[in-house]
Amino acid sequence: MKLGPPALAAALLLYPFIFTGPFYWDIGVGFLLAAISASAWNIVGGYAGQVSVGHSMFFGIGAYMPLLVYNLWKLPPLTGAPAAILVSLGLAVVIGMPTFRLTGHYFSMATIAVAELIRIFVGTWDLVGAAIGQQGPAVGRGWWDLTFRSELPYYYIFLGVLALLLYVTFTVERSRFGYYLRSIKAGERAARSLGVPVRQTKLKALMLSAAFTSAAGSLYAFKTGFIDPESGFGILVSVQMVIVAALGGAGTLFGPLVGALILVPLQTATNTWFGASGSGLTYILYGGIIVLLARFEPGGLHELWYRVAARLPRRRHAA
Amino acid sequence: MLLRAENVSIAFGSFHALSGANLSVGEGEIVGLIGPNGAGKSTFFNCIGGDMTPNEGRIVFAGADLTDASPETHARAGIGRTFQVPATFEDMSILDNVVVGAFLRHPHRRDALAGAGEVLEFTGLKELQHQRARSLGTPGRKRLEIARVLATSPRLMLLDEVLAGLNPAELQAGIDLLRRVHARGITLVIVEHIMEVIMTLAQRVLVFNQGHVIAEGKPSEVVANQIVIEAYLGRGRRKRRT
Repeated sequence: MKLGPPALAAALLLYPFIFTGPFYWDIGVGFLLAAISASAWNIVGGYAGQVSVGHSMFFGIGAYMPLLVYNLWKLPPLTGAPAAILVSLGLAVVIGMPTFRLTGHYFSMATIAVAELIRIFVGTWDLVGAAIGQQGPAVGRGWWDLTFRSELPYYYIFLGVLALLLYVTFTVERSRFGYYLRSIKAGERAARSLGVPVRQTKLKALMLSAAFTSAAGSLYAFKTGFIDPESGFGILVSVQMVIVAALGGAGTLFGPLVGALILVPLQTATNTWFGASGSGLTYILYGGIIVLLARFEPGGLHELWYRVAARLPRRRHAA
Repeated sequence: MLLRAENVSIAFGSFHALSGANLSVGEGEIVGLIGPNGAGKSTFFNCIGGDMTPNEGRIVFAGADLTDASPETHARAGIGRTFQVPATFEDMSILDNVVVGAFLRHPHRRDALAGAGEVLEFTGLKELQHQRARSLGTPGRKRLEIARVLATSPRLMLLDEVLAGLNPAELQAGIDLLRRVHARGITLVIVEHIMEVIMTLAQRVLVFNQGHVIAEGKPSEVVANQIVIEAYLGRGRRKRRT
């Protein structure tokens, strides 16, 4: 098991050299973006068990801000990313304070409502391009505009961000904060009785999660150079984060990566096979995965692996 | 006095779950709370533990007024509690369950792990520490709850039917464990239906009925109290027996 992380790192570093060409690189970038978004969501949704279905609000802010600073002041889009993180942190506090009074489905519904309100508002706000959205620099003025012809630079930038996020999550997992998050997920009342400051811990988790989700949104904007209300703040953006994390194993370090590894190639395959006529397939795919997870393995593939692995030594003893 | 609950009252709509309950507990005491189902014992625990805020009255612990304080503040002040239905963190390992408690006094992981290890040894759960809490049966879960609270280094432990549902051998082991917990200098307040536990451990007993404390005294005095017998068995019961 200890060989796992270095092997994973080597595989991700070497992927573009093994699978060459824009098509595979695009899949690689899509995988990394999905893994970053889901890992960011995982901090609050997986570890703390606060299932937000409105994380697109942070993703959208992260995506809009770089293109907004470019269009308004001709600043490099990169400068919009830290600003977006600050705005997302502020929004996390404003949203978290009232919604963390709610638990379970009520919390999830509240996050959907807030994200949808923001999406509708952005879609009618002329300053940010209303329904049309924002366009980035068509041709980069320099490397700092992060407008590359090849997918390869994006791949390694995204990989760097994912590595940082995994390191932060790993550190969180082993810290008091991480233990507190898991105890909140397991039972708030018992956690409180052991001195866990529940609301404060949840809020910190939401802020950390919002910051990285915003960064994921900025990465998306750097790469596509375009953003509109649906691709930034749409509910599908949030749902994808939830499904990717849940499929691999919410509340685990590598669960979101496993989920992204399955879902992104699957999405690409359905898009390739069915083209534009299969645009609704994404919804069917998501719905199918939700049904399968809920029915057979709510803990995701990680939980399935845990149960299988738990049986293996016993068999050996028996033999 | 370590704990003073004065005139504690709480109502849910028109139902008065507690009406002017008083309790004083000195450092190092073992106090038992008994009473029929629905008498208000667990509600009283919830008030002392910070889960509920009384409508009236005051709760003072170690000189600090905790009446309106949160459960987290109660825990930090040194009040630990177990739950009637064990509330262990099912998908976490037994060790991690206890580490969550240990983090209250030890912010660093290494210290928390050391603290948890000592408690697991003390409670006899060390060998099972890497198993998930859900793998334990009722006695194990109750023991884990005690371990988790012990890891917070409490001065007072509120034990809500912590020995209920155990077979005679497990019950004896549980009583021994509570004796050893008490020997660590921890004050115990025990809600229990099993009279053997109360008679063996408690130095003083309070009897609750319909939200009121109806009797208080040594265990042997309380069980012979006519009001207590009537509360449990109903009026006229003694006459019919004689």
